[in-house]
Amino acid sequence: MALSALKKDPSGNAVAPPARGRRAPRGTAARRRSFRHGATVAAFLSPALLLFALLVLVPILYALYTSLFKWGGFGAPETFVGLDNFTALLQDEVFLGDLWRGFVLIALSVGIQLPFALSMAVLLNQRLRGRAFYRLLFFAPYVLSEVITGVLFTMIFSPDSGLADHVLDLVGLGDLGITWFASPATVLPTIFLVMTWKYFGFHMILYLAGLQSIPRDVLEAAAIDGAGAWQRFRHVTLPLLGPTIRISVFLSVIGAIQLFDLVWVITAGGPVHASETMAITMFQFGFKRYQVGYASAISVVMFLISFVFALLYQRYVLRRDLEGAVTSMRGRR
Amino acid sequence: MNARSRTAVAAVRGLSTHALIWIVGTVVIVPLLYGLLSGFKTTSELSGNPFGPPGEWVTENYTELLASGSFWRQIFNSTFIAVATALVTVAVSALAAYVFARFAFRGREVVFTLFTIGLMFPFAVAILPLFLMLRAFDLLDNPLGVILPQAAFGLPMTIIILRGFFRTIPGELEEAAIIDGCTAFGFFWRILLPMARPALATVSVLAIVTSWNNFFLPLLVFTEPDWWTIPVGVQQFKGQYAQDTARILAYVVLAMAPALAFYSVAERQLIGGLTAGATKG
Amino acid sequence: MGTEPLSRRSFLTAAGLAATSVPLLGACGGDSDDSGGSSKVTIEWWNIATTEPGKTLWPTAARAYEAAHPNVQIKLTSLENDAYKSKMTAQTTSGKLPDIFHTWGGGVLEQQVQAGLVKDLTGGVAPWIGSLLPISVQPYQFGGKTYAVPYDIGMVGFWYNKAHFAKAGIESPPATWTEFLDAVRKLKTAAITPIALAGKEKWPGHYYWSYLAIRIGGVAALKQAAETKDFSGAPFVQAGQRLKELVDLAPFQNGFLGASYPTTDGQAAQMGNGKAGMELMGQWAPNVQKEMGKGLGDGLGFFPFPTVEGGQGAPAEVFGGGGGNALSKDAPAEALDFLKFFASVENDRKRVASKAFLPIAKGAETALTDPNLKTVSQKLNTATGFQLFLDQAFPPAVGQEVNDQVAALIAGKASPEQVAQAVTKTAKSQ
Repeated sequence: MALSALKKDPSGNAVAPPARGRRAPRGTAARRRSFRHGATVAAFLSPALLLFALLVLVPILYALYTSLFKWGGFGAPETFVGLDNFTALLQDEVFLGDLWRGFVLIALSVGIQLPFALSMAVLLNQRLRGRAFYRLLFFAPYVLSEVITGVLFTMIFSPDSGLADHVLDLVGLGDLGITWFASPATVLPTIFLVMTWKYFGFHMILYLAGLQSIPRDVLEAAAIDGAGAWQRFRHVTLPLLGPTIRISVFLSVIGAIQLFDLVWVITAGGPVHASETMAITMFQFGFKRYQVGYASAISVVMFLISFVFALLYQRYVLRRDLEGAVTSMRGRR
Repeated sequence: MNARSRTAVAAVRGLSTHALIWIVGTVVIVPLLYGLLSGFKTTSELSGNPFGPPGEWVTENYTELLASGSFWRQIFNSTFIAVATALVTVAVSALAAYVFARFAFRGREVVFTLFTIGLMFPFAVAILPLFLMLRAFDLLDNPLGVILPQAAFGLPMTIIILRGFFRTIPGELEEAAIIDGCTAFGFFWRILLPMARPALATVSVLAIVTSWNNFFLPLLVFTEPDWWTIPVGVQQFKGQYAQDTARILAYVVLAMAPALAFYSVAERQLIGGLTAGATKG
Repeated sequence: MGTEPLSRRSFLTAAGLAATSVPLLGACGGDSDDSGGSSKVTIEWWNIATTEPGKTLWPTAARAYEAAHPNVQIKLTSLENDAYKSKMTAQTTSGKLPDIFHTWGGGVLEQQVQAGLVKDLTGGVAPWIGSLLPISVQPYQFGGKTYAVPYDIGMVGFWYNKAHFAKAGIESPPATWTEFLDAVRKLKTAAITPIALAGKEKWPGHYYWSYLAIRIGGVAALKQAAETKDFSGAPFVQAGQRLKELVDLAPFQNGFLGASYPTTDGQAAQMGNGKAGMELMGQWAPNVQKEMGKGLGDGLGFFPFPTVEGGQGAPAEVFGGGGGNALSKDAPAEALDFLKFFASVENDRKRVASKAFLPIAKGAETALTDPNLKTVSQKLNTATGFQLFLDQAFPPAVGQEVNDQVAALIAGKASPEQVAQAVTKTAKSQ
């Protein structure tokens, strides 16, 4: 959702440069006003700052702190081990596997789920009977909770007795003996299937919004110039959809890095770690093995990966679309 | 190509488009229908007939749940916590976003960047230190123990969205208001907020959906079953009635219903906000 | 209630939200609403009794105790197994546990003890602990001190479908590992899934490796490994090799790696619905088979884990565990009194009669009616050695590593040597 709003920033900025007429404090009246101005800023900002500092920043910093200890979670952390947890992580096969699986999920999302969402958006952007209904329907899974989705699909993909197996039987593929969540080879693709079911509508809606912002006359002009449907899509629609696509990719990647609830409910990372994600490994160590220091190190790495990705992405990809966040600090003052 | 064959091509293409969308629609809706229908079966029928309509429509699974106090209690808790979370998130974010959008002050971008960093930190990762903080504040078994952290984690996204909207409102308007004797808060309250209503609706709906679906925080914060929310209840119910698949599915369907109902009502806010945003850009 | 002398935090910590802790208020001398000596006590009791028969038995016991002690109120919080573990971790980390809480004993309890969160019950239970079966208390004793009171104890063994065994031509239950593998082959030939296994949950798999290690090296070898933190010795590598022999026969049901234990398509249901020949499970198996499936009734048999040729372990050594209740360090005296009540012969008989628990109190075995459970109880009480489930006996990190590694072995993703090395590495890091 954020996205359209983010995109709008530059234009909004052009209309209303912030703080117009608030510079040049000269004279007592101006000074009094600038004091009032400061007080207003402080008063308006403090609730957000307080809430954010106490419940987001402090836990982040605390995780950073405990990641430097060998700590079972009892009493205060005492055994300082420096970066040992991090070096151990780099040799931990499960964690390295998490990175690989994260990469696979990102590749699948960006390579399959998003193009699929885009093609659905293109189809639904035409004049079509029942368009409103389909739009409503495709987005609906997004509002369902991960726990509920997980429970539902656990039953659908239950080996032998689930709905999915009966469907395969029906179309004559029952002999394949696909075991869905139950085999290391098929679990990740099956989870991806569920993720697509749940999230493609969200991306589709983003693309639809983007598509609707493309002026009809541009497409018509291209058609008059003799461009075919595919050419119009390739050379007009796609470039104009750029900002939306870039943001959708961004959200998809961050979502894949942080994937937790859905997998936790369905497989808890199994079988044999085949669907484990970083967040799940973190949870296993923090809540099952009482190795809280090590778990904190995983959270820190997850945070760093998301952060560095966001930084690079904003710096090199989103530059034109997204103003304000991390990279645009210069030139704003 | 003559006109007739062109319309024929168009018709075929239209037909295949319809077919494609229809297939996707089926794939999306079948799991939901499967849950709904299964709730009307007995578990023993379910294993033999997972597919078709129930041989005999068993309504007990649904009616017994609807008659149980705990289900309604969970609906109430989820609703209360979601609405309160949305109120706190939006109120606090709107104030901050206003400052970020329309005031110049030292370190503004640094503070703003600080908030955007929050986007990179998922709930699951912070849950243990967060739990210790909540314990220290005596917020366990207290709805605030869920509402406040959810609001805190919702701030970054909400502030980013609202700041964008606030910036689109012309500066002349603010100057005129100040000349008319409006204070900063007066302008914010009487002019800015009413104008940003669509944006406020969008972020509120977002906050409500996120809160409604949250699982681990309520699980850890609430020990009292009286405070459990729907996702916590589903998990507990699944363990408790593991032998009764049909009943679990009935529970899942009933737990979905409010979210879907809310979505069908708030669809315009959720999707419309987006569309409006994108077209204006 | 004269809480002024106490800070709000410490009051809440000491007494729970609605409780009035007698000793504390006494210590502060400010008990202003003294109502004739016995003031109200509220006891929080966290448990995992969310399924029958515990779901009924637990509250019934609490209500019965309340009726006899009008000043005591027991507040039950029943949590589903996995949710309970997550919550307890958070609670333990925050340094405050509920007055009475479920425990499986072993490594997790020991860590909670070391963190100073658990009440030492040694003195309190001394007058009556003799009325309990010694083996049932063992998981909760460290360094000669007792930290919890059991309500169930049992052992792991093979539960088998008599009809399937007969059909496959297995005349008597296998007594040695070779005979066992043979039986598996016969079942396969007869087109019967030999073994049901819940691969998703890992702990049922670890029974095989652990019991093989006990048969090969004896309980003593496990004790020694736990002390030296070295699991690379011959018994453990051999246990892996023997398990691999079994795995190579592909004895488990289709999709076992994703199967849960207590669901309608899980391990227990496979057995209960007659779809598999046997399962390796604890004393609760018949009850869960019946809950999740149809149940086999008299068609269900039990045989102990086979011996391994050339192994050091005595056949009478058993592997198992049960359940108990521990007290937080600030729990009121009434909580201990309740545990005594809960462990009494009368209450134990009620549990045993439900067929889901085995006796812990001397004299409760008369309530046993099921012949299989009678066998289990008998074997247990004549055991020459007892080993608690490894995922509970060891520190949590080691226990989880055992589960993870054995699961990998069963899935064909780790060699016996790798399993032994990985467990050793984790143990050494503790």
